[in-house]
Amino acid sequence: MQKTDELLDVAEMVAPPAVHPPERRRRTLRRPPPAKAVVIALGLAAAVLVLSGTPWLNGPAVAAWRTVCLAITVQALPFLLLGTALSGAINAFVPADLFTKVLPKRAALAVPVAGIAGVVLPGCECASVPVANSLIRRGVTPAAAFAFLLSAPAINPIVLTATAVAFPGSPAMVLARLLASLATAAAMGWLWLWLGREEWLRPVVRHTGHRSGHSRFTEFRLGFQHDFLHAGGFLVLGAMAAATFNVTVPRSVLDTFSGSPWLSVLFLAALAVVLAVCSEADAFVAASLTGFSPTARLAFMVVGPMVDLKLIALQAGTFGRAFAVRFSTATTVVAVAASVLIGGALL
Amino acid sequence: MKRTAQVLLLVLTGLGLLHTALFTDLYLRYVKEGLRPLLIVSGVLLLLLGLTHAALDRGSGDEEGHDHDHGHDHSTAPRIAWLLFLPALSLLFYAPPALGAYTAAHAGSETVKEQKRFAALPATSPLPMTLTDFTTRVQQDKELAIRGRSVEMTGFVTPGRTGGGWDLTRIIFTCCAADAQTVKVHMYGTPAPPANTWLAVTGTWHTQGALGTRTAAAALDVHGTRRIAQPVNAFTDDLPLTPS
Repeated sequence: MQKTDELLDVAEMVAPPAVHPPERRRRTLRRPPPAKAVVIALGLAAAVLVLSGTPWLNGPAVAAWRTVCLAITVQALPFLLLGTALSGAINAFVPADLFTKVLPKRAALAVPVAGIAGVVLPGCECASVPVANSLIRRGVTPAAAFAFLLSAPAINPIVLTATAVAFPGSPAMVLARLLASLATAAAMGWLWLWLGREEWLRPVVRHTGHRSGHSRFTEFRLGFQHDFLHAGGFLVLGAMAAATFNVTVPRSVLDTFSGSPWLSVLFLAALAVVLAVCSEADAFVAASLTGFSPTARLAFMVVGPMVDLKLIALQAGTFGRAFAVRFSTATTVVAVAASVLIGGALL
Repeated sequence: MKRTAQVLLLVLTGLGLLHTALFTDLYLRYVKEGLRPLLIVSGVLLLLLGLTHAALDRGSGDEEGHDHDHGHDHSTAPRIAWLLFLPALSLLFYAPPALGAYTAAHAGSETVKEQKRFAALPATSPLPMTLTDFTTRVQQDKELAIRGRSVEMTGFVTPGRTGGGWDLTRIIFTCCAADAQTVKVHMYGTPAPPANTWLAVTGTWHTQGALGTRTAAAALDVHGTRRIAQPVNAFTDDLPLTPS
């Protein structure tokens, strides 16, 4: 357990820079002279070129870190674009009252409906954060939006198919993943209704939807661009943190924990958080962890798409730090509990 | 972040993606082959977004920034976005190398999947095999068909940790480099070539443990090695290229 604790400690040390206090945002409104941005960009480029000559950046460990970090970013960019484009489209083209009409009036009922609606968003977890945010902006109750946020990356057809391929001959694993993910998403939605407080969410000035007199397409384009740049920055930060663990944690640590059934569940849940493997690939990673019990591997697949370093960074950027810390912690606990209960019954 | 910087950032990121996925094969170092169309579409989209922003929103950004201090200001992007310059510039000018011996040496050898039925081995000799197939055959085939057979496998060199021997290695991506898994077969009988050299190796199973059970070592007595060029898509466990 010692090692897991260390991992989590470091995770927290890495995560905080992810968070930008709101005051900073306001300062960005002040305009520096236009030449400044170009100078900074050229300076960055020059720094990269100068550093590329130094042996330090080309040492094998640093090179592997750069490769993994870039790989996570490149892999996630198309899905982040999809998510932010959807979010921009929801803002500009969808009538304000559509979601409130479609979803059940009672928030407690809207939560499971929104959770099941997660099936329709194909892709990785990076796409779901901006979409959930745009849902809240359009008047969907946060509890329902969070259920959608959690369930979408875990239960869409692409991910379930990948799970079936990774675990041939055990359809129970696919079913268990579907049920445990849905249960966690719904439980977190209800938990937010019960205990959640609006002030944890960053009181952001938000899109107002379509305003008359403005071109819908321009609104879409600018909203899309803004959201992409914003989320993209946090994605890079999360990728850096995840790459650090990916390169520094030796896989031999795995064998230490595979023996104990309880510790192995907690350990694989923690591993899912720090490795930040994309939800379309995590089933294959889980399948390769053959020393672990099916329940522990289920926990890896349930926690991974809901909580990981790059998601925490994205959520902190989108909803605020106070929210991201509480929400991620609670989600991890609920997801582990759901995995143990459903895994124990089905696997 | 200023409008100029946003345009620059979008265009550079777009060009970086196009450079890595459309004009070169560099993307194969980072992600699986199937992601290529998505990367190209994303690159084009970002490029268009950047150019449209440069062409259409001239001047408007400066005015909006001041009178909408309560509104959602699209003309500025948060400072965190500066971080996106790192992957963009890295993709364009300073692509990190493919994963290799360093990663393989730090990875545990992945256990192979269980396989119950094995087809009869073709009669070709030496028999081209993947590292995964060889390991599965050695450890699970109850017919012991691999006994005495000369096989040929390709991979890169990972020096052994204890100094003795070396591993023929493949790193396999499922999705991207973050989920890289390593297969290794230990080599006996020749001194270790330099790390990361790509080789085609022929040899027979190195007798250690009981063949057909988990105790059998995934190891080879080397009869011959031949240098090969690194495959374009190195992060799969493909059959050795047929000798030309």
